[in-house]
Amino acid sequence: MSRTRKRDLTMEEQLARGPIDLPFLMLVTILTVVGAIMVFSASYPTAINEGKDPANYFFKQAGYGAGGLVAMYVISKINYQRFRWMSMGVLAASYVLLILVLPFGYGRATVGAQRWMSIAGISFQPSEIAKVGVILYFAARLSKRDSEKPKKLNPRSYWSVPLGLMQRTGFLELIPYAVILGSIAILMMLEPHMSGTILILVGGAAVLFAAGIHMGWFVAGGACMGVLLILMMSGYQSTRILVWRNPWDYYATGESYQIIQSLYTIGSGGLLGVGLGKGRQKFLFLPEPENDFIFPVICEELGLVGACVILFLFALLILRGFWIAIHARDRFGALLTVGIMTLLAVQVFLNVAVVTNLIPTTGISLPFFSYGGTALLIQLAEMGMVLSVSRQIPASKQG
Amino acid sequence: MKSNKKRQQDRTAANLRILKRTLFLMAVCGVVFFIPLVWRLYQLQIVQHKELEEKAIDQQTWDKEVVANRGSIYDANGNTLAMSAEAYYIQLSPHEIEQRQEEYREKVEKANAESDPEKREELMPDYDEPTNESIAQNLASILGLDAEDILKRLAKTNSWSEVIKTQVESDEADLVREYAKNNGLSAGIYVMPSSKRYYPYSSLASQIIGWVNYNDGNRGAYGLEAMYDDVLSGQTGRIVTAKDGTGKQLLYRYEDYEDAVDGMDLHLTLDATIQYYCERVLSEGIEKFEVQEGGFVIAMNPKTGAILGWANSPSYDLNEPRTISDPALSEKLTEVQNDTTLTDEERSQAVADLLYQQWSNKALNETYEPGSTFKSVVLAAALEEGLVNENSTFTCTGSVMVDGYSSPIHCSKRTGHGTQTLAQAVANSCNPAFIAIGQKLGTQTFYDYLEDFGFLSQTGIDLQGEPSAPNYNIMWPRDSFTTVDLAVASFGQRFEVTPLQLITAASAVINGGHLMQPYVVDSVTDADGNVVQHTEPTEVRQVVSEKTSERCRTILEQVVIPPGTGKQAYVAGYRIGGKTGSSEVKNEDDHTIVSFLGFAPANDPQVVVLIAYDSPKPASPGALYTSGGYYISGGNMAALQAGELLPDILDYLGVAKQYTDEEKATMDMTVPNVVGMTLADATAKIQANGLEVRTVGEGDTVTDQTPIGGVAIPGGSEVILYLGAEKPTDKVTVPNVSGMNREQAQTALENAGLYLKSTGLTVGSDVKAESQSIAEGTEVERGTVVEVHFIQSTASGGAGSGL
Repeated sequence: MSRTRKRDLTMEEQLARGPIDLPFLMLVTILTVVGAIMVFSASYPTAINEGKDPANYFFKQAGYGAGGLVAMYVISKINYQRFRWMSMGVLAASYVLLILVLPFGYGRATVGAQRWMSIAGISFQPSEIAKVGVILYFAARLSKRDSEKPKKLNPRSYWSVPLGLMQRTGFLELIPYAVILGSIAILMMLEPHMSGTILILVGGAAVLFAAGIHMGWFVAGGACMGVLLILMMSGYQSTRILVWRNPWDYYATGESYQIIQSLYTIGSGGLLGVGLGKGRQKFLFLPEPENDFIFPVICEELGLVGACVILFLFALLILRGFWIAIHARDRFGALLTVGIMTLLAVQVFLNVAVVTNLIPTTGISLPFFSYGGTALLIQLAEMGMVLSVSRQIPASKQG
Repeated sequence: MKSNKKRQQDRTAANLRILKRTLFLMAVCGVVFFIPLVWRLYQLQIVQHKELEEKAIDQQTWDKEVVANRGSIYDANGNTLAMSAEAYYIQLSPHEIEQRQEEYREKVEKANAESDPEKREELMPDYDEPTNESIAQNLASILGLDAEDILKRLAKTNSWSEVIKTQVESDEADLVREYAKNNGLSAGIYVMPSSKRYYPYSSLASQIIGWVNYNDGNRGAYGLEAMYDDVLSGQTGRIVTAKDGTGKQLLYRYEDYEDAVDGMDLHLTLDATIQYYCERVLSEGIEKFEVQEGGFVIAMNPKTGAILGWANSPSYDLNEPRTISDPALSEKLTEVQNDTTLTDEERSQAVADLLYQQWSNKALNETYEPGSTFKSVVLAAALEEGLVNENSTFTCTGSVMVDGYSSPIHCSKRTGHGTQTLAQAVANSCNPAFIAIGQKLGTQTFYDYLEDFGFLSQTGIDLQGEPSAPNYNIMWPRDSFTTVDLAVASFGQRFEVTPLQLITAASAVINGGHLMQPYVVDSVTDADGNVVQHTEPTEVRQVVSEKTSERCRTILEQVVIPPGTGKQAYVAGYRIGGKTGSSEVKNEDDHTIVSFLGFAPANDPQVVVLIAYDSPKPASPGALYTSGGYYISGGNMAALQAGELLPDILDYLGVAKQYTDEEKATMDMTVPNVVGMTLADATAKIQANGLEVRTVGEGDTVTDQTPIGGVAIPGGSEVILYLGAEKPTDKVTVPNVSGMNREQAQTALENAGLYLKSTGLTVGSDVKAESQSIAEGTEVERGTVVEVHFIQSTASGGAGSGL
């Protein structure tokens, strides 16, 4: 297929062929490569123990990483305006998958939660797709917020008074978002998948927040979540809090084994670490060293300095992402980028906060680092979306 | 259209809002989130680094201890006092035992599934099912444990290690190993090597040697075992290997060896033989004098400060340190156990106190009033200062008034000793004389000597638990030492010292004035026998001159020569010096500590001993005699025992006897065998041995003799020679000589056709027979020698008099 010449392109199409944001691309690439290396270091004892090739996990992760980078590039080439209509499809697919995972997925037997699905030999978590779906759909819909004309209400209807009130307070426009978030949250809690639910709620809320929804609703929403959390603080969840407060008291009973091992690992690193690949805690002491607990391995092997460098790279990536959002050509691009970057930032924060016992344990993986092919693929696809937005940033007016 | 403009305004406002919110999110996500994370990482990786790393390494390494052999303890002649030998402990792994039981059931199932009976037979395990009950029964019977207890341990099926018995001997260990092997439990019942401490001499020198506490990592708990624990225990070796989270060793990752260094051996100055003499004399005395609170005997080389023997009572068997075997303590133990008014806690506390009593080294850990034994030190000080000499005379009227004290201070002899020379005053242990000597010294000089003789400092002996000094609760501080204090201090009262301080100071008095640092460990050798550390005698300071010391020895020798207060310690042939002492324990009725400080030979002391008995029981409250008729005083009790101890030690040390002429007269002479000789030859030979001859019958040749050759009889006794006449073969009856003096006893025995051999107080006339070697009424052959032990017959000195 011959390439359409530039002069034949519409204005929009020309814009979509702008340069991608190089700093962002570089940061993503660095993190992905470093992540794959750390997966190798962290996973080989597990692989050996499972009787696999020591590089087994590494090859898989590197393959997905490479695939993800390609996907990122391809997606960055797509004019992101097309995501507007695609968002409906992604959201719909998310619903289908979240429902299908309950009867057809797997995970209940192994981890006690039905989170995984396998299609054509590729396993993935529907919740990962739901995250993208929610952000895309919210960004698309909220970007048209101003242009939507207020609904004309039939003054004779019985509903006119409450609806009018709801419209004036701005509640009416929130109803679709609330319904979507609520329904997805319910589906995910059926798996159950607490951490995924939190992330989706955070992603949706970030887009709503950036779109300019009245602060009061976030206060109200936050309060509701707080009440729900307190209600859930019984049984399993409340022990979790106790273990978090006094992990050493629960070591003997095994309830705080994970977190204590994580602290041992991090603490062993010291300032400069024991050296790449020389970590000791990954030898079946630290649970899932290649997954949720990969950051402690980084801390142990690369020390405080290495860990801070990684965190600094994340911070730079996030700041650059927001920079793109601020400079985005339109509101949809801005909201989409804000949603993706906030989700990434929250995920990084929660993962590191959990492994350092800053907050109670919950299973959240570290973007670009934690082992998990499809998660990495989707993560990189999201980065591709951000890069796509970056292409349409208007060039600054010069002289 | 107005809406157009308004919409434009709205849009601008909305965009601004979006921008603000985005910037807010940017700040939170890009900056604020990372602050607590970096802070937390800093906390963990820098602040808590050491602590966490240590714990991590702890779990990452498989650390096996290689036990070092504990060193032995030898006496001066290389006899083993303490040694370690291999022992075992039995460890169960209930978790693995459960697996073994499952395996057994699986095997049985498999076998039963087989149709061919032959094959079934083959597959069937050749032992019975190892149920918990059968394991508990078998182990309990092998190890002498309670089966119930083992069952309880076996029920803990998530445990990998339950130690059910330690210090198991190898024969029992073999039985356990065999049982485990025959019942498929080799992986489940483990026989692990350890070591056990043996004390071949049981209770000998128990407070000095001490014991090892198996419950405390085989660490020394008391005595030298504790004091020299570092030296004895050696260096535990380790094999460190990396392991993974499941406990599998990762040999390829990390491995480190640290060889075990065996403990070193201690060679003591203590001599097991002398120690045995000390303990024998101590326990004999305790029985004889009905002593209630135990006692001690210290024997030391005065020239070096080397401890030769150190006995304490009550004592215990080092192999069973938690068992009370001393009769007096056992009685108290029964009392405590039967006392229903005590709570369980109080009772166990009381038992612990009793155990502590038997473990503690009374003569080192506790203090007492030295009493008159202290006069030896005062004597040395006064001679050194030139304030008195051998020609000084002292007049004693029975009591003396001291300025600043309202009532008279009495002498032991209420009627007074009259005028005495210095030597007599010492021999009489005359209090007024010593008050006068003390006053001549004056408070400051006296106090100087207290310091110089080491009474205000520790002796520095290499044993545990020497009380810190000076302790002004038991000793006057210099600035409050008044003339009244000086008066009582002059005869050793109203202040307290440790027995070790006293014997060390007394050694300085007699050894030429050198205050030595006492010691027990002569040398430390490593496992190959190389001497690692050797104790050289350490002189703390010279307190008095050689000359003064020599004069003291001469004067103190007079104490033991009759009629001195210490004459019961007199032993013919040995020149013994010493000083008696009796002190009443403050504020307690009928509680006297009687003691004797002795040394020999007086001209060149080889050994100095301090013997003390705490609280001999008076026959009735307030009585001066025990129910056995012993007058309660140092001279009548402790000196008496010293008279038995010193010859034994001197004999053992190879100090030759030297008899004075007077002694020779009462000395035992060996009867030569003269049968078959002519009368003239025989007479000459017998007379040459200082014996007399009486003949029976007529003839020229001696056909028989009484007593037979080789028997020792007192010098001057008659040997009967039979010249052809028949030697009477009738038996004679031994008379009772108890209470008689020497002449009476000799006459009584001679009349019966027997010979007297006197022991004990063999010089002087003021004696009475205490015991005889052959009981009254026994039929013996004519000419048999009866050994009679003489003691002093009249009381001198005693409780409250400071003698």
